Amino acid sequence: MRLEDRHEGNILVVSILDKRLDAQAADDFKDKMSQYIADGERLIVLNLSNTEFIDSSGLGAIVSVLKMLKEQGKLVICGAGNSIMRMFKLTRMNKVFNMFESEMEAVDAMRG
Amino acid sequence: MESMNDLSSEAGITDFQQSVRYHVKYSDGKVWEQASRGDLYNAVSLTTRERLIDRMHATEARYQKEDAKRLYYLSMEFLMGRSLGNNIYNLGIHDMVGNALKEMGVDLEEVRETEIDAALGNGGLGRLAACFLDSLATLGMPGYGYGINYEFGLFRQEIDNGYQRERPDHWYSEDTPWLIERPDEACTIPVYGRIEDSQDMAGNYNPMWMGWKILIGVPYDMPIVGYGGKTVNYLRLFSARSSDEFDMQIFNAGDYFKAVEQKMSSETISKVLYPSDSIEAGKELRLIQEYFLVACSIRDITRQYLRAHDTFDAFPDKVAIQLNDTHPALTVAELMRTLVDEYDLKWEEAWEITRATLGYTNHTLLPEALEKWPVGLVQHVLPRHLQIIHEINHRFLKQVYAAFPDDPDAVTRMSLIEEGETKQVRMAYLSIVGSHSVNGVAAIHSELVKTSLFSDFYRLWPEKFNNKTNGVTQRRWMLKSNPRLSELITETIGDSWITNLNELIELENYAEDKKFQKRFLEIKKANKERLAKIIFDTARVEVDTHSLFDVQIKRLHEYKRQLLNVMHIIYQYLNLVEDQKELTVPKTYIFAGKAAPGYFMAKLILKLINSVAELVNNDSRVKGQMKVAMIPDYRVSLAEKIIPAADLSEQISTAGMEASGTGNMKLAMNGAMTIGTLDGANIEILEEVGEENIYIFGLQVGQIQEMKDIGSYNPWDYYNNSPDIKRVMDCICSDMFCPNEPGLFRPVFDGIMNNGDFYFHLADFQSYVDAQERASLQYREPSVWAKKAILNVARTGKFSSDRTISEYAKEIWGIKRMI
Repeated sequence: MRLEDRHEGNILVVSILDKRLDAQAADDFKDKMSQYIADGERLIVLNLSNTEFIDSSGLGAIVSVLKMLKEQGKLVICGAGNSIMRMFKLTRMNKVFNMFESEMEAVDAMRG
Repeated sequence: MESMNDLSSEAGITDFQQSVRYHVKYSDGKVWEQASRGDLYNAVSLTTRERLIDRMHATEARYQKEDAKRLYYLSMEFLMGRSLGNNIYNLGIHDMVGNALKEMGVDLEEVRETEIDAALGNGGLGRLAACFLDSLATLGMPGYGYGINYEFGLFRQEIDNGYQRERPDHWYSEDTPWLIERPDEACTIPVYGRIEDSQDMAGNYNPMWMGWKILIGVPYDMPIVGYGGKTVNYLRLFSARSSDEFDMQIFNAGDYFKAVEQKMSSETISKVLYPSDSIEAGKELRLIQEYFLVACSIRDITRQYLRAHDTFDAFPDKVAIQLNDTHPALTVAELMRTLVDEYDLKWEEAWEITRATLGYTNHTLLPEALEKWPVGLVQHVLPRHLQIIHEINHRFLKQVYAAFPDDPDAVTRMSLIEEGETKQVRMAYLSIVGSHSVNGVAAIHSELVKTSLFSDFYRLWPEKFNNKTNGVTQRRWMLKSNPRLSELITETIGDSWITNLNELIELENYAEDKKFQKRFLEIKKANKERLAKIIFDTARVEVDTHSLFDVQIKRLHEYKRQLLNVMHIIYQYLNLVEDQKELTVPKTYIFAGKAAPGYFMAKLILKLINSVAELVNNDSRVKGQMKVAMIPDYRVSLAEKIIPAADLSEQISTAGMEASGTGNMKLAMNGAMTIGTLDGANIEILEEVGEENIYIFGLQVGQIQEMKDIGSYNPWDYYNNSPDIKRVMDCICSDMFCPNEPGLFRPVFDGIMNNGDFYFHLADFQSYVDAQERASLQYREPSVWAKKAILNVARTGKFSSDRTISEYAKEIWGIKRMI
C-alpha cells in the first residue's frame, strides 16, 4: 500500500497512490495510518482521487482510522470518484465523513 | 424497418432463407448439408430474432419520446415454454417461414420440436407472468418482466416403475438464441455483513452496513413481441456472478482454489429454480435469490429512470412495480434503502414514493403458504434491510394503534414481525404495507383475501384491495396450440378475436349449426389423434380416440385432488370388473404434472395413478372401455398438445383452496367441458358459460368452513354409509395396486380415513360421481356435446390476459397503450 503524505500547516494530507483499497491492502493501510496517529497527527485529509476500487475491507479500514482518532482528531475525505462515492453511500459512511471534491476544499474546511 | 407485409414478401422470403443459411455457416459453423436439427433450430431462431431487434429499438424510442410510464413485473418465475413458434406467429410470418424452409428441404415443425422449453417456473404463477408479458406487448404497453436466469429450470420428470424421478433441466440459459447478454448493464449487489453503529455529523444515530460480500447480476434480455409485431418489450433475467475484483484479490493472495470456491458459491445463486410451488421455508439460498432479483431490479430501474430525470419527484409517475406474490417483497425495503441511504431522501418522502410505486398480487388463501423468514436469517443476510423493516413496522404499528384503539391485539396480529420461539418477518404484511394496491386473482379469492386472509388490513385500508381475475393469452393457447380450431374460428368470424377475445361471442350463432359442429368435432378428433400418438410414444398406452378424453393436468398437490379423480377411476373400474356394469361411454383418463421433490404424499399419489393405470390398462375384463395414462414431464410445450385434445377438464380442488386456476381457462377456450367445484375462476367460468354448459359439483366454500368450524366432518361417516366409498377405500388400502410393495398406499388411506381427510375427498365423492355421469351421458350425444363445447369457446372472452392486463394498467399501474 503506497501512500504519499505532506503537510499543510498542521493538517496532514495523505494520498493513496494505489488504485485498490481492498482486503489485501487494508491491513497495511491501517498500520500506516495508525503510525501517523501515533506520531501525533490529528487533522487528516485522506485523498482518494487515485483510488478506483474499494471493497468492504477498505471501507472498514477507513472507519477504523476514524475510531483511532476518536474525539481527539478529524478525518475528512476528498477526491472520491463516482464508484467510490457509491460505496460510501451504500454503507452510509458518507453521513459520518465530510466529503469534498478537491483537496483544496478539504484543507480549507479543516482550517475553518 | 420492414413492415409485416415486407417480411412475407418475395424479398422477405429470400432474405429469411439467406439469413438461415448464413447462420448455419457462421453461427453454427456448419456446412449446410451437415446441419443437425439443433443447428437448424439455432439458425432459424437467430434469423427470427433479427426481425425482432429493429422493432425492439423502435419500441424503446417510442417510449422514450413520450417519457412513458413503465411497468416492471417482478417475479421469481417466468414459465415461458418455447419461443420460436410463438415469435413467428406473433410476427405473422408462421406460414412464410414454413414455406421458406420447405423450399430448403427443412420441416418447420421438426425444427420447432427441437426447442427446449424455458421452464423457469413451477406452475400457474410462473405461466401467468409469461402470459402477462405477451399481453403487455400485444396491447403496446411499456411493460417488462424482471426475473432470474436460472441455469437449471424446473426438473425434468421421468417415470420409473411408476415413480417420479427428477432429472436436471439444463436449458442452455446462456446459449439460447433468445437471450441477449448485456454485460455493460451489470449491477453490484452487496449481501451479508453487519451493522456498525455510528453518529452522523449532526450527532444522530447512523447505521453503517459494513463487511458485505459483493455479487454481480448480469442481465440477459429476451425480446417479447406482441401480436402484430408493432411492440417488442423484453424480459430481463439476471445471472449471478462473483465480483471479478473479489476473485482477483484471492487469486493475488495465491489461493487459487479458495477463489474458485468463492466464485462457485456466488454463481450458485442463479443456478437452480426451487422446484416447490409452495414456500421453501428457511432456505438461505432462496432468500438470497429473492434479494438478488429485487436488488438487481431496483438498481436497473432507478438507473433507467435517472437517465431521463434529475430527481425522484416523478418516480411513481414514471415507474410502476408489481410484486408477483411475496417472493419479491424485499422490494419494499430495498427501494427504501436505495432512496434513503444512496440518494439521501428523507424517510417520509421515500415512503410515499415506495407506496405509490408498488403493487402486490396475492396468489394463495392458505395461511401456511404465506412466506415468512426467520428474523435471525434476515439479520445474517441483509442486516440493513432488517433495520429498515423494523423502522417500517414501528411507524406502521403506531398507525394501527391509533386506528384501532379498542382492539389491543391488533398490533400483535398485524405486526410485520411474528413473535414466538423463532421470530419471523411476515412478507405478505410487508408487501401490503409497502404497496398502494393489493389484489387477488379471482373474484371469490379476492373476496376471501378481504374478509378472511387479510381482514385486519382491509379494515385499515379498504381502498387498497381489489380483484384482477387471471387470464391467459389466446395467442399461445389457441392460435399456436390449436391452429385448426383457430382457422375454423377465423374463417367463420374473422381474425379480430386474436387481439380481442370477446369477439368469440359471435360463435354462439354457430353452436347449433350442423356443419360447424361437424368441423368442430373433426378438429377435436384430429387433435386427439395427435395426442394419442404422444401418449403411446411417451407412456406406452394405446388409447381410443373415440373415447372421452378426461384430462387433469397441473401440479400434483393434495388440494388439487388428483386423488379424488383416482378414486373415481377405481370406482368405475370396480363397477366394470366386479359388477359387470359397462361404462356409459369409453373413457381415457389423462394425467400430467410434477410433484415437488420433497412432497411425500404428492409423489405417492403419482405412484398410485401409475399403479392404477398398470392394472386397469392390462385387465382384459375392462375390454378397452377405460384407459389411464400419466404423460411424463408436463411442461408448457406438452400442455399445448394436451389442451386442444381434451374433452373434459378436471378442475376439482377443494372449494376455497385454488385461488384462481388458469388451466381451467385454457381448456374451456379450446372446447373442453369443465367438471369442477365452485372454486377460484371456475365460478366466473360458470357465470360466463352458463350452468347447463359446465358440470359443477361438491361442497362450497361456506359449507366447508362451517364443517371445519364446528368440527362436524368425519370421513368414517361417509365410509360407513356408502358401500361405493368403502369399496374404493378398501382397495386403496389393500395390495390390489401394489402387489409387489405391500402396504405401499396405506398412507393414502390413512390420510383420508385416520387423519381427518383435510381436503374433503369423501364428502365430495358422490356428487363428483354424479357429475361425471352427467358428462358421460351428454358425451354420448355428439350434437349436444358439440353445442356445449362450442358455447364454452364462445363465452370465454373474459379470460384473455389482455382483459386482465388492461384492468391492471388502468386501475393499478397507470400505464398506457403506446400504439
